[in-house]
Amino acid sequence: MYGWIWRHLPGNAWVKALISLVLILAVVYVLFQYVFPWAEPLLPFNDVTVDNQ
Amino acid sequence: MAATADETEETTDASEPVPDPAPRRRRPGRIALAVSVFGELLITAGVLLGLFVVYSLWWTNVIADRKADREADKVREHWAQQQESGPGALDTQDGIGFLHVPAMGDGEVLVEKGTDADVLNDGVAGYYTDPVKATLPTTGKNGNFSVAAHRDGHGAKFHRIDKLEKGDPIVFETRDDWYVYKVYSILPETSKYNVKVLSPIPRESGKKKPGHYITLTTCTPVYTSRYRYVVWGELVRVEKVDADRTPPKELRD
Repeated sequence: MYGWIWRHLPGNAWVKALISLVLILAVVYVLFQYVFPWAEPLLPFNDVTVDNQ
Repeated sequence: MAATADETEETTDASEPVPDPAPRRRRPGRIALAVSVFGELLITAGVLLGLFVVYSLWWTNVIADRKADREADKVREHWAQQQESGPGALDTQDGIGFLHVPAMGDGEVLVEKGTDADVLNDGVAGYYTDPVKATLPTTGKNGNFSVAAHRDGHGAKFHRIDKLEKGDPIVFETRDDWYVYKVYSILPETSKYNVKVLSPIPRESGKKKPGHYITLTTCTPVYTSRYRYVVWGELVRVEKVDADRTPPKELRD
């Protein structure tokens, strides 16, 4: 999977590494900005009130 | 391709001919491929969970503290303006005051209305409007000033609630007054359905008569929400805020 991505990135190893880094940062951004805030209320880690159904 | 050709030449020189120098690492078997994809998925899942921990325990704090600081500045500014233009109505929109709990460390916790996630996630404490409505100390009436805040993440304002002991002060600051409470009872673990802790007279704390109480609730143990941690305090005295906003002696030492 990751090997496949690596082989399909253009350029030499350095360019590939740079593009990979940008891709990773983009994924982390999307996770922190959209995915985790959405997932958090669905998980039972942060209810602090009583009678919080 | 050129490289493979060179290699074949060398090996043929040395010994018997190699029948078919299949290009290495090109076509792994179907099973090998499936196993490697599965492994990569597992690694991905692990990294994802790790990132979620980073998000919940660090990033939400960064966001919430930033937001809470901004809100707090707004409230203070608001107070300063009102002081010049005479008394104004209590504005519950931006927060009603600040909690100071020396046992939980320096700093103040802005108190806003409501205990919904979108309020508490801004790094503030919220006073209950549901299921039992909190009695605000500013009303001067008997009752229970019940507030909740996050134990971890989103500012984690009540993270060190377990450091509070009987006799410790909890001070609530409003525009005009310092309300000094003293902790008299602690319930280290209770069910999340135990709404009686919010009652105007919280009997579980040992009180039978009406009075001015404060109740702090958060989740326990840390990093989970299985139970609730409850701390009760009783109003000791009310001090007028002076021109320099000199804090009461409980906050000075």
